[in-house]
Amino acid sequence: MTRTPARLAVFGITAAALLFPLVNQNDADIDSAANALAFAALALGLNIVVGFAGLLDLGYAAFFAIGAYAYGVASSWQLQPAWSSFWEPFQWLDLVIRFHTAGGDVVHFQVSFWLMLPIAAAIAAFFGVLFGAPTLRLKGDYLAIVTLGFGEIVPIVARNIPSVTNGAMGLNGVAAPRFFGFDFGIDATPYYYVGVAIVAFLILTSQRLKDSRIGRAWMAIREDEVAATAMGVDRVRYKLLAFAIGAAFAGATGTFYVAKLQTATPEMFMFPVSVMILVMVVFGGIGSVWGVVVGALILQILQSWFLEDLSEWLHALGRFVGVDWLQHVELASSIELIFGLILVLMMLYRREGLIPAARRTRTLSLDEQTVQPARSGFTNLAARDDGSRLPLLEIVDLAVRFGGLVALQSVELSVPAHSVVAVIGPNGSGKSTLFNAVTGLVPTDQGTIRFAGEEIGRLRPHQVLDRGIARTFQNIRLFPNLSVLENVMVGMHARLVTGPVGAVLRLPATRGEEAAARERALEILSLFGNRLLPRAEHPAASLSYANRRRTEIARALAAQPKLLMLDEPTAGMNPAETLELADQIGSLNRYGLTVLLIEHKLDVVAMLADKVVVLDHGEKIAEGPPAAVRRDEEVIRAYLGRSAVFA
Amino acid sequence: MSDYGVLLQQVINGLSLGAMYALLALGFTLVYGILELINFAHFNVFMVSSFVGMWALELLGISGQGQVLTGLALAGTLLFAFAVTMLAGGVLGVAIERLSLRPLRGVPGTAAMITTIGVSYILFNVILLTVGAGSENYPNPLPVVRWQFGEVIIELKTLLIWGVAIALMMALQLFVNRTRLGKAMRATAQDPEAARMMGVDVDRVVVTAFFLGSALAGAAALIFGLYYNYTSFIIGYTAGLRAFTAAVLGGIGSIPGAMVGGVLIGLIETLGGQLIAVRWTDVIIFSILILVLVFVPTGLFGRAAPTKS
Amino acid sequence: MLELCPILEFRGVDTHYGDLHVLKSVDYRIDVGEIVCLLGGNASGKSTTMKAIMGSVRPTAGDILYQGASLAGVGTAERVRRGIAPVLEARRLFPRMTVYENLEMGAYTRHRGPEFEEDLARVFTLFPRVEERLRQIAGTLSGGEQQMVAIGRALMARPRLLCMDEPSMGLSPAYVEQVFDIIRTINRQGVTIFMVEQNANMALSIADRAYVLQTGQVVLSGRAAELRENELIRHAYLGELKVQ
Repeated sequence: MTRTPARLAVFGITAAALLFPLVNQNDADIDSAANALAFAALALGLNIVVGFAGLLDLGYAAFFAIGAYAYGVASSWQLQPAWSSFWEPFQWLDLVIRFHTAGGDVVHFQVSFWLMLPIAAAIAAFFGVLFGAPTLRLKGDYLAIVTLGFGEIVPIVARNIPSVTNGAMGLNGVAAPRFFGFDFGIDATPYYYVGVAIVAFLILTSQRLKDSRIGRAWMAIREDEVAATAMGVDRVRYKLLAFAIGAAFAGATGTFYVAKLQTATPEMFMFPVSVMILVMVVFGGIGSVWGVVVGALILQILQSWFLEDLSEWLHALGRFVGVDWLQHVELASSIELIFGLILVLMMLYRREGLIPAARRTRTLSLDEQTVQPARSGFTNLAARDDGSRLPLLEIVDLAVRFGGLVALQSVELSVPAHSVVAVIGPNGSGKSTLFNAVTGLVPTDQGTIRFAGEEIGRLRPHQVLDRGIARTFQNIRLFPNLSVLENVMVGMHARLVTGPVGAVLRLPATRGEEAAARERALEILSLFGNRLLPRAEHPAASLSYANRRRTEIARALAAQPKLLMLDEPTAGMNPAETLELADQIGSLNRYGLTVLLIEHKLDVVAMLADKVVVLDHGEKIAEGPPAAVRRDEEVIRAYLGRSAVFA
Repeated sequence: MSDYGVLLQQVINGLSLGAMYALLALGFTLVYGILELINFAHFNVFMVSSFVGMWALELLGISGQGQVLTGLALAGTLLFAFAVTMLAGGVLGVAIERLSLRPLRGVPGTAAMITTIGVSYILFNVILLTVGAGSENYPNPLPVVRWQFGEVIIELKTLLIWGVAIALMMALQLFVNRTRLGKAMRATAQDPEAARMMGVDVDRVVVTAFFLGSALAGAAALIFGLYYNYTSFIIGYTAGLRAFTAAVLGGIGSIPGAMVGGVLIGLIETLGGQLIAVRWTDVIIFSILILVLVFVPTGLFGRAAPTKS
Repeated sequence: MLELCPILEFRGVDTHYGDLHVLKSVDYRIDVGEIVCLLGGNASGKSTTMKAIMGSVRPTAGDILYQGASLAGVGTAERVRRGIAPVLEARRLFPRMTVYENLEMGAYTRHRGPEFEEDLARVFTLFPRVEERLRQIAGTLSGGEQQMVAIGRALMARPRLLCMDEPSMGLSPAYVEQVFDIIRTINRQGVTIFMVEQNANMALSIADRAYVLQTGQVVLSGRAAELRENELIRHAYLGELKVQ
């Protein structure tokens, strides 16, 4: 969508939302609308966890419950500890009052609703981290089950600690909010407007997070966790952040919902509620901010208005046709059946939801579609070789074992700064394992790896990237549903500093950093001429094989590495494209980048490499300039195999 | 009754429950072993099957616990009921696979699991809307016979459960270890690509796993009804949680694991209810589920940790 | 017995992986009773060739013929039934099944009867060690032993054409020699062998003919004896040979 129609739509929707209670003065309708808004807020929160970060949370209602009970307990007569001087400062802050009863003076909590919104959000966020932490290393469905478990435990606990929550009977006497002396009371309208404000705020927050460094990090994790960590994203931190922020949304909404209902019971937060929110997200469009809002509103309105009307029509039809069952059907109670059907049908036929998160892209001109390979390398990079040849990467006596299998043994490798070193060897010789060991993707059993003098063998992948090593993968690991530009910008993750607060507030510093990052990403894309630039907004999965390789290299360059590690960069390219890329790697090297390269096209190696290292069966069997290595007997035997004894 | 006697009785009860959970967990684990899919719908197939069993018995003219049969009539009735219930379960399972899961074969991520949640909801609500929310009295032709051993009482129905469960588990073991199709199932669970290269029809194997698994759920369902004398729309959820935890505890994908896990969970439920409090058993079971998944994801007998992301 | 029709033929076969062109107009011809090996370096298309023969990959152009009849539309199970059996890369035995059960799976497409027993006896003759370990769980065997079982498993299908994917990979030199010895014996018993190998020297020592593949194209082919003397082999392997 281009800007103007989108802006108009948002303006129109806002106006409609604000005018609604003036147009339709029916209190029940306004109340339903307020409920719908609450669920829209919940859907937005779950969207962050499931849609942005790709973590399937089946127990999301737990955070809703936590926020609800937090406010409930803090503003009702449920808890009445005995009065003591400890409570005096709180009374002075107007958070509690001293209440006289027959049995003595007790504390009555009356924390303000407005204060409780952020506090409940924070408490829920804390639990988000708590419940999320055990799931960090689990894969998709197992993660879902654990979150389901937590989602079930919370309401059961709520039911079984009646001293705090009044158990199954539910909290009551929850105080209504007060706004500068105006008591909200039982009229639905003020709650409705608070709901609008909350949803508007959460939409804004979601949008801003999505279009920021944070959102990109989440989506990178969702698309390919391994590649994300190799590009500098700390997956532990970002997964926990997703859980925390998603939980915070639910916590605040819980406070709002309970304030409106003035009661809280465990039934309100059980598994079916978690599923309902999930259905809203799936129906509306996983990952799409407006999509989930629309999905939630439609399903809530369906539940509270439409189904009742539809039931009336079916009754009339039943009387007309004389079918008894039709006259008695109550669709409203079959809402869960409808939810089940929606889930199944959406998964089978429209997995992207009503309003898909993916964007439309323009078609390319003929010129942009066909590009001839060029042989000049990157012309707009100024050479920056400072002449130093100290070893940038030093590997000493490295061993990597997988169970009983020895993948690498006694490997020694030294990569001088500003050089190009190629690693070659037959299939299964350990080349990719070597790359994985250096970048922290597999643990090492022995030996040291030193980068710029620092021992990096124990670092996690995102820390290795941070030190200045960026890599590509043998079978290309791009983020398929992100655009080419977004892929490259993920590469910059470690070089930017915007955090979630900055992302939401969009301070000038953040805006500046984001614009500069975008500039730089486009610059890097332009290095590849007309191949990638026209496709900057296209999803990476739609690119040709060779272009995806180039995008992966661009992404690695975006991390401003000192050492670029390329795993078979020319695989799948025809000879002309191969030479073009080889020239480009050469110019990157002259620009100052140190390059460690796995290649099996030995003409490319001969062209580029200062030094060649040959691996076979996990050990180094030769090292030296390309020409010498090619003639080495051991090398030839490794590639062509030992001669038969019975020749 | 002494404390010791109470505990021993709970052990007996736990073993009976455990046998039922084991059957339910087995069906679930069979499918997971081949498809690495968590099939939420399995537990509501169990629930629906119990209603089918009820209707089958009513068809034979039995209602409530009043009409007791013995000897050949009893055996014949039970045989009929089990056959009908297991067949119904199996067919329902296959239908679910064909209609909602086969089209999603190969789609990465959690799409298939989400679909099973949807199917589970559909089954649950169809029963709720047609039969209603009340508990249904289960027709039970079993005579109430009790034997006393010291402080402990064992009933005829307990022996029935153990008998049926053991027979079915042995039959399953025979099937996967001695028949061609059973071995093909094991092979497919271990390496589907290589199995295909041996000429195995993987689609057929999947359908078989669903049929057998759901039939076992059907057997468990009839056992539930005969043991507790009731059924209702909610039993899929309550028994399902326990059976699911049993499968995970035993090692998801492992057949012996499901059997051992089932018995363990049965014991934990009865002893936990006795020693702590019944209202906390759900929390205990969920906690076990979470702890196993987080700390020992392979469970007792399982092999590799889940690889699907 | 003279058979004029080649047992396996690739005619102008192309395959793609998404938009990546893997095999480019590849022609092979394997006559009955031959040992033909397919050589090539990394990412040359060797594995894809195997997959195309077994049916896991479908050609996007061209045709694959088995005993004169096209394999288009023929599923993997049917190909096994018609007499093509694979020995998979890195063995891929069923790790938690016994050796005996693995052998049984090899004969999955066939009826159990006297023929099954004959084939079992034949496998035991070729691999006495396998007979010793029948009840052992396959995953606990050493690499070389697993390779024996894998070949035995393929032979249980009583194939006419045995397709072997890198039989020497990951094996110690002693085992490699044993395996190649056995391949020759099997061939003498009447099984045609098509073998993908990285170990060119060993492969050429037992093969009748060979093809050399590089980035999806056949760059060399001929009688094994000639190719062994050929300098170009080394060039093709070490990536220097360029094709027009």
